Amino acid sequence: MAAARYYDGVTAQVTEVGVRATASELVIYRAANFGAADPGPTDSAIVARWPVAELAVLGDAVHEGAPPVVRRGGEARLVVEDAALRRQLASLVPPLAALAAAPAPAAQRVATLGATLAALVGLFWLAVDYGTEYAAPWLPYSLQASLGETVFDELVADKDECHGKRGLAAINGLANELARAAGYPHEVTVHIIEGGPVNAFTLPGGILVFYSELIEQAKDRAQVAGVLAHEIGHVVHHHPIKGIARQYGIELLAKLVSGGYSDLLNTLTSGGNILLALRNGRAFEREADATGVALLEKLGLRADGIAGFFEQMLEKEPGDAASAAGIWSSHPPTRERIAATQRPATGRPAFSDADWKALREVCK
Amino acid sequence: MTDATSPWARTAGSGPASEFPAAPHLAPSRPVYDGRLGELYAIYLRHVVLMILTLGWSRFWGRTRLRRYLWNHLAVLGDRFEYRGRGRELLIGFLLAVVMLAAWGGLMWLVWTYVFHDKPFSSFGILDIFSLSVAVIGFPLAYVGHYAGLRYKLSRTRWRGIRCGLAGSAWHYGMVATFLTFANAITAQLLTPVVSVNLARPRISNARVGTLPFAFAGAASDIYGRYIGYYFLNIAAWIAAIVAVFAILGGTTSEFGVSTDDLLKLVTEPSLRTILIAAAIAAGAYIVFSLLILPLRCWWQAYLFRYLVSHSRAGPVLFASAITTRQMWGFLVLNYLIVVLTLGLGWPWVMHRTLKLIASELWLYGVPDGAAIGQPAHRGPRFGEGLLDMFDVSGV
Repeated sequence: MAAARYYDGVTAQVTEVGVRATASELVIYRAANFGAADPGPTDSAIVARWPVAELAVLGDAVHEGAPPVVRRGGEARLVVEDAALRRQLASLVPPLAALAAAPAPAAQRVATLGATLAALVGLFWLAVDYGTEYAAPWLPYSLQASLGETVFDELVADKDECHGKRGLAAINGLANELARAAGYPHEVTVHIIEGGPVNAFTLPGGILVFYSELIEQAKDRAQVAGVLAHEIGHVVHHHPIKGIARQYGIELLAKLVSGGYSDLLNTLTSGGNILLALRNGRAFEREADATGVALLEKLGLRADGIAGFFEQMLEKEPGDAASAAGIWSSHPPTRERIAATQRPATGRPAFSDADWKALREVCK
Repeated sequence: MTDATSPWARTAGSGPASEFPAAPHLAPSRPVYDGRLGELYAIYLRHVVLMILTLGWSRFWGRTRLRRYLWNHLAVLGDRFEYRGRGRELLIGFLLAVVMLAAWGGLMWLVWTYVFHDKPFSSFGILDIFSLSVAVIGFPLAYVGHYAGLRYKLSRTRWRGIRCGLAGSAWHYGMVATFLTFANAITAQLLTPVVSVNLARPRISNARVGTLPFAFAGAASDIYGRYIGYYFLNIAAWIAAIVAVFAILGGTTSEFGVSTDDLLKLVTEPSLRTILIAAAIAAGAYIVFSLLILPLRCWWQAYLFRYLVSHSRAGPVLFASAITTRQMWGFLVLNYLIVVLTLGLGWPWVMHRTLKLIASELWLYGVPDGAAIGQPAHRGPRFGEGLLDMFDVSGV
């Protein structure tokens, strides 16, 4: 059996060769017999003489089956399949020392790396789930505002915004009063979009969006103030940016753990990620409800509006979609929210009569 | 392999096959794969750990390391393949694709500013235009990326020290593939043999080992009869599977007196018991599905694979495969399940299984004349796989 195979780099011809190392060169020669009967390199049998200083081992000598030896700058290759000869060459020729590289037992490396991976996944998850709780407020406000404005522009591109000055001043005045009461240091802006649905939402950067139908269908001003206070709860807890960070973080983790190879896994985890986002959504809503009520009470305003608004929603839809959707809902069951936010109808009104009238007519 | 039924006998005297002299000796051989699963896992886990630590930026080097291992543990005619790509080349390829996409984004911004903005289409936002345009160009670009990625991989692959390569235009392939896929979709998949053969042809006949080109002598007409049989059997199997699943589910729910409301409640507020029952039902549905549908699909895919392999050659070397429906099931279905059920960590196992399958089921007949295969002058693309990375990261 040949000791090694030599490829000249010009053609795909294979020459079975023997190898002799001297202090200055590696002699590669064709021989009829290898082993004990090997006559050694005769002039006519020499295939190549490679200076030791120009030798190199290509690639990953630890993992490749038989890493090729080359003369730097050339295309020719010497592949030594015989492990004993590889070790011998490595000990004799310093530039070929990599040929003797032997990895630690695979089981040991797999166990170490597997444990490291499990620990890293856990740390990453914790960083995403809990880290955002603390990191979100530190995200530059200008960045949050810029993101919020971009999303807002996209959302309202085909909708009409209401411009009633007095009404907008009234709702923005109350929003900022509530935000200041919570110690929120930035300006909050409320936009009102004409039409439905009966809804309001919060974007990063303290941008609140109300649909005019919510204001039109509210039974009284306390309900609008209650919804506004709830949205301010989202603002002061940085919920929008936390939600985005968590969703992006878990998606990134799934991609990283799959090694960047498995679209299947990404598809699978995106389903889990939606459930996670919805779970986050329910937790955020509970927190915003509690904060909204607390802020209204802190300012001495009527705090029964949130529960009143939910009761009105429940009257319209007795089936309670949030309850029916269970784990698939972004909001907690409405009855649970009513119970948690129920307050007496005491306190001063959030809007004066004139402000409330202006707010009702903000789109006219 | 040299009788009258051989595609090469049939095309002798015309087409690419005539460029090669008839092989006097068709000594059979198979590739040898001597990789070890434990080693592969050690490399893969290191790659995943580094992916998390670098937030994914190490993937170019990790992918390269995996390829080096896999390529070098696969040998044909006693000579191992080499993978000589570099992580840096993949990184630059990726960055170039990002720049290209950014330039496209800039172009779309100009279109939006000067064509749509403040016009009757003002509701069409810049992100809408960008997303829509990427969706439209993404489909052909993914094919372009696949072909260009194959070219990169082959250009970094050496056998006996000789570089492999892939000729032909990736853009042309992308256009043909897009057209054929679209045509196949609007003809209810009846053009599948045409698509399969015409997309295999450029990938096979443009492949090179040094100066030795591969050749492909397949024709869609050869496999249409089998495909039509598969097509209608498949429809019948789907109907049977759906009827069977409904019969089982309907019988089960009515037997236990479960109403629609009860089912809704089970879905929306699942307990551990519900999850276990759902998993059992899913497993049952999978068994029905896999018994009726998947074997048919694997039967067709195994046939197609055998056809494509046996109609390819590299100079005097002919290829053949006797892959069975069961082996194709292991390749298509079991590998899928391994990746999904192990949450991606089964990927090295899948690669290992695939290379073992190739080593056991691919036969080569004949030996190439090494002296006649020269080193190609062209070194292949300088960077690689940017588009592939952008649109589809699957596959080593």
